[in-house]
Amino acid sequence: MTCRDLMANVTAYMDGALAPQDRERFEAHRGACPGCRLHVAQWQTMVGSLGRLEDRGKGAAGTQRDHLLALFRERGLHRAGPRVPGIPLGLATALVAPGDHLAYFWETDEEFVTTAGFVAAGVQHGETSLLLGHAEAHARLATAMSEIGLDVAALQREQRLRFLADRASADGLINELGEQVKSALDRGTPRVRVLGNLGWGRMDSAGDRELLRLEAGVTEAIRMLPVVVACCYEVRRVPGLVLLLGGLECHPLVCRRGTLRHNELFAPRESVLSDLEKQPALFGDPDDGSGEPRE
Amino acid sequence: MDERGEAITSGGASSKAQGHPVPFHAPPADAAIVEALRRGDEGAFTTLVDQHHEALRRIARLYVPSPAVADEVVQDTWLAVIQGIWAFEGRSSLKTWIMRILINQSKTRAMREGRMVPLSSAELGDPEGPKDLAAAPPLEPAGEWRAHDEDRADASKDLVTSLHDPGLSPEGSLLSEEARVRIRSAVESLPVNQRLVITMRDLEECTSEEVCNVLGLSATNQRVILHRARANLRVRLAGTALSE
Repeated sequence: MTCRDLMANVTAYMDGALAPQDRERFEAHRGACPGCRLHVAQWQTMVGSLGRLEDRGKGAAGTQRDHLLALFRERGLHRAGPRVPGIPLGLATALVAPGDHLAYFWETDEEFVTTAGFVAAGVQHGETSLLLGHAEAHARLATAMSEIGLDVAALQREQRLRFLADRASADGLINELGEQVKSALDRGTPRVRVLGNLGWGRMDSAGDRELLRLEAGVTEAIRMLPVVVACCYEVRRVPGLVLLLGGLECHPLVCRRGTLRHNELFAPRESVLSDLEKQPALFGDPDDGSGEPRE
Repeated sequence: MDERGEAITSGGASSKAQGHPVPFHAPPADAAIVEALRRGDEGAFTTLVDQHHEALRRIARLYVPSPAVADEVVQDTWLAVIQGIWAFEGRSSLKTWIMRILINQSKTRAMREGRMVPLSSAELGDPEGPKDLAAAPPLEPAGEWRAHDEDRADASKDLVTSLHDPGLSPEGSLLSEEARVRIRSAVESLPVNQRLVITMRDLEECTSEEVCNVLGLSATNQRVILHRARANLRVRLAGTALSE
């Protein structure tokens, strides 16, 4: 090993990252060369002095500490009572809180395209967006997002945007969403927003029952997570019972024509599920008169 | 433990209260802190803030234009910690997780302010860009290698030599204010990627594993950037002796 080799490897040596034989060679050269010995010792001194540059354990400045403690008291999810809404929704000029689950009722194409704003608001704040829906909705949404200047491909590459298909069981989808949420938060995303464009009426009636089971479970599943879920309902297309049980009874909040409202019709999961069991059919599907849920 | 917090992780519809599913790769002490934060334990929160707040501010400053913006970024980071703690599973250590949130928030803010982002995808993640920094030419060839004779020749003007002298600066002692000012300004003069890595590794004393995890660097690239930062810093400090 030459002096030059040794110097090129000082950092690897100090990290304990040299292979055993390289380490031996490094130490042998250093032992024999006073110049290199001094060089290594000086690097160690320099690195040591960097570690002493800032006073450690000084903690946060007084006022900031108090301010952060207030933040913990008011915005921590352990806190009982209503949440402080601090997250821009992007669908209406409203703020939402972690754990909010809302139905977005849309009629016109323009109202559908507005949902791209929900994703854009998340991107602005470094959030991750999960788009759960059927293929046609995904395609329209991707176009709408590009039109307002979002780089869909780049966001997907950076794992800040993800398209998920809605064709699975309710439990499977809840699990998949849970997994995606946890891995996004683990990557350092501050919050996750989910936009649902569930394919009501695009599958058979049993498929719609599964989607309703999913909707019924979401509010509870995200209650203690920094997650906001907006579910889109195309009011001219979905059957009345789906609008009632899914759109209205599963969401504590509803958004229509740019206004976000608390929803008095929201019902607990068990109530929605037992109501669902009693319905012979969700819509006029002659093949599904039995009322038996799909196993 | 509030079972609802776990519902999304344990199958939603059929979830049972089963406490925290602890697949902790993180230090065991982290599990206790996470528990305490979920309970709303204010002492645990302020202890965590005291441990990390200043380091977070210093790192955020490398991304954003002013101390005031850095404070906002750090506050947003704490808010995300307060709320995300319910989903934290210890796939990484709590410290690594907090720093990842900080880097994410800092980058988002830097891009909104139209600032260049250190270690941005253009430089590292881009498939067209240099994958292996070891293959890229050094930024300052002079800093990569100097004959050690030269070090000795400059000894009278070298800050590191004076720090190295145990009589002047015993190990573990505080640095003089003058030494701090010189070292800080030398660190600040480094290219931004080197500054980020050396700040995390040597000033904030993160492990190389933590830095790789937080910044998404390979072990090799992390070491190459750190080595260059130290080599450049060594050269810069050689020209600045203490006045005494």
